[in-house]
Amino acid sequence: MIQLFHVSKYYDRRPALSDMTLQIEKGEFVLLMGPSGAGKTTLLKLLFCAERPDEGQILVQGRNVARIKTSQVPALRRTMGFVFQDFKLLPKKSVFDNVALPLLVQGVSSFDTRRKVAEALKAVGIDHKKESRPTMLSAGEQQRVCIARAIVNGPLMLLADEPTGNMDPELAGEIMELFKTINARGTTVVIATHNRQVVEQVNRRVVTLVQGKLASDEGAGR
Amino acid sequence: MRRLGYLLREALTNIRLNRTTTLVAVATTAFTLACFGVFLLLYLNLRGMVGSLQDDIKVIVYLQDNLTAQGVTALQHQIKAEPEVLSLTYLSKAQALADFHAQFPDESHLLEGLGENPLPASFVVTLVPKFRSSDAVQRWSDRLRSVPGVAQVQYSREWIENLAVVIGYLELAAVAVGTVLSAASVTIIANTIRLTVYARRDEIEIMRLIGATGAFIKTPYLLEGSVLGALGAGLALLLLKGGFELFIDQLGPTGRFLGIETGFRFFPAHISFLMVLAGLVLGFLGSFVSLFGFGKVRS
Repeated sequence: MIQLFHVSKYYDRRPALSDMTLQIEKGEFVLLMGPSGAGKTTLLKLLFCAERPDEGQILVQGRNVARIKTSQVPALRRTMGFVFQDFKLLPKKSVFDNVALPLLVQGVSSFDTRRKVAEALKAVGIDHKKESRPTMLSAGEQQRVCIARAIVNGPLMLLADEPTGNMDPELAGEIMELFKTINARGTTVVIATHNRQVVEQVNRRVVTLVQGKLASDEGAGR
Repeated sequence: MRRLGYLLREALTNIRLNRTTTLVAVATTAFTLACFGVFLLLYLNLRGMVGSLQDDIKVIVYLQDNLTAQGVTALQHQIKAEPEVLSLTYLSKAQALADFHAQFPDESHLLEGLGENPLPASFVVTLVPKFRSSDAVQRWSDRLRSVPGVAQVQYSREWIENLAVVIGYLELAAVAVGTVLSAASVTIIANTIRLTVYARRDEIEIMRLIGATGAFIKTPYLLEGSVLGALGAGLALLLLKGGFELFIDQLGPTGRFLGIETGFRFFPAHISFLMVLAGLVLGFLGSFVSLFGFGKVRS
């Protein structure tokens, strides 16, 4: 599903990622662990084509994203879901409209959109708030909406950047359980986190980065 | 269809959310297009006037005073037979004097001391359209001057030709002013759209992340620019119409005396439509300029 070969990325000549080689299989659940500045977000940005590597090659679903044309990026992103620490929801649109956005972009019919959004909202347990505005929801609820938006079009892989940042342990645990449920349906999940507690709770493969380098890779195949 | 509805809704939402900048953009676009419209109005009216004056061109053939009645008739037949002549009217000395009194009643006393009527008899000749060009009229007049019984030949071609030259310059000025003001309109709308894009940068980022194409993201802004341009042009037309009516009103009696009051015309429907279309295109271009390079950004 994801293969990195000797990937390096520099910002102002300083390495954010150095000679990274990594392989993630289809259906895996991987936690990218490391302190702030370790290169976790950079790695995710490379995977969803927000950045290009300066060295090395990256294959995502068989496509070399290091050389992908800009015009081909939207099509690739439609096969992925994204979850962010700051949710990135549209505050002036309802929960339903926020979750429906990826389907709208893909030109899915109104009937299918209603059905898929209802399913996604139900899967994250927030279907009763579909008419609400995101600003009226708690942080945990907003993150659930964000996850619903990420899974609504049935993505092959789901990338999350610090999805439980600023959340109390109980709420973080609930969100991680959601990711495990999504992974159990066959979606590859890659989560960047610096929260050791979350890592222990999930008990899956942990890839640790330190100063842009691969420090350890534990529990592959779990 | 659902996507088209979404894009239209987004464009209208942009306009509604940025009311102040929208109003400023529409007002400034309207003002610049109105300035161009004044030039266009002036140009079209003067061109129309020259056209009608050229259609109305008359050659006046003054006759020698000693020409007998038979001589006048013979000359009339001779001139009428010319291929260049469409129609011909004879104006006797007495009729010329009567016309002078009618047209200039206050100056009638000027001729009283002269005793004998000094005004010559004349033929007022209308030429066939294909012989109304400057060269053709001149050639025919020169030939006619050598015909016995003809004292002088006059026509108003020269000043009409001069007016045509002035209109040529006006046309150039209109193109230059139009180009500058069009660029100004494009810049104004481009800046407005830039502000909208900046205000909605978070939303744009989200759209990119969920796989929206550059065209899908840009379309509402292109529509917004087009609507602003068209609204600006519509407002410019209203301003011009108001200004035009005021001008005609102010022209009043002076204009009627000079006979130019009825000569001025506002833009016909198709020109008005073209102006709105031009506003729309300028607005689209403004948006396009502001979004230039937009699609190359990856996140």
